[in-house]
Amino acid sequence: MTTVGAVRELMLKRLETEAANSDAKRDLEMALEELDVMWEELQGQAALLVRENERYAEFFEFAPDAYLITDAGGRIREANQAALELLNTARDEVGGGSLSDYIVDADRVQFLTRTVGLLLGAAKPLAWTTGLQPRGRAAFTAHFSVRAIPLKKSGVSGLCWLIRAAD
Amino acid sequence: MPVELEDLKAMWFDLKAQVDELAGERQQYLDFFEQSPEAYIVTDNLGTIEEVNGAAVDILQRRRRFLRGKPFAVLVALDQRSAFRERLSGLAAEGSWRTVLEALEMRTEVALTARRIGSGRGICWRLQASS
Repeated sequence: MTTVGAVRELMLKRLETEAANSDAKRDLEMALEELDVMWEELQGQAALLVRENERYAEFFEFAPDAYLITDAGGRIREANQAALELLNTARDEVGGGSLSDYIVDADRVQFLTRTVGLLLGAAKPLAWTTGLQPRGRAAFTAHFSVRAIPLKKSGVSGLCWLIRAAD
Repeated sequence: MPVELEDLKAMWFDLKAQVDELAGERQQYLDFFEQSPEAYIVTDNLGTIEEVNGAAVDILQRRRRFLRGKPFAVLVALDQRSAFRERLSGLAAEGSWRTVLEALEMRTEVALTARRIGSGRGICWRLQASS
């Protein structure tokens, strides 16, 4: 099933043909067996993580709230369905863009100042209200709630934004 | 070093790197779901509870162990239950309604928002206790 298994077979064959002393041979056989077990464990771990991540990814994607994950500079890394609907934008349009692009002009400087402040502050959620400018639609007032979150891969701190239209 | 061992080493490091990356991804999702101040529940399409985050556990007043695998409907007060089931079975892509939860004879009025998972694998719920 694994190529590791194939490599192991090869090494065992080599052991048979090359007349190594019997102690060394046994040691090597045992080491290979151990390696096999460890490999299987690591593969199992990977498969479990893949399954769990798929489930969490689905939850993020279809959470009943609009969520965006940005890096520390406010660049959008991820946006869920509800967020795309709220910003009236498409996934390929939002990726790599900046969240501040969707803030009304009058509030943008304040928005950026607050974002910088966040990075210097604590991990507890912070909330404020600001003007949101969706693509091709009228602007409206929205509640923003933000907290720190580790980014995928790098693990460095990013920001998780929850956005709700104010009633 | 024999060439086979070099191969083994390379394969091992590849898989290890893959696991580390997946673990990083998982950490982000865990932080997102568990640490959220919003109360979320994930159920299957029939309303059987699969996941509950910390904020939802606080509202539901029951242990996570008890919650997993239970129908969401059993948390709803008896007099609201059939209405809840009707809303659930009639749920389109999204829906919001109010209901009353009951735990340890304590009634909590909540606003529910439900959104179907796109792949059809279940429903994401948000609970908001009215204060």
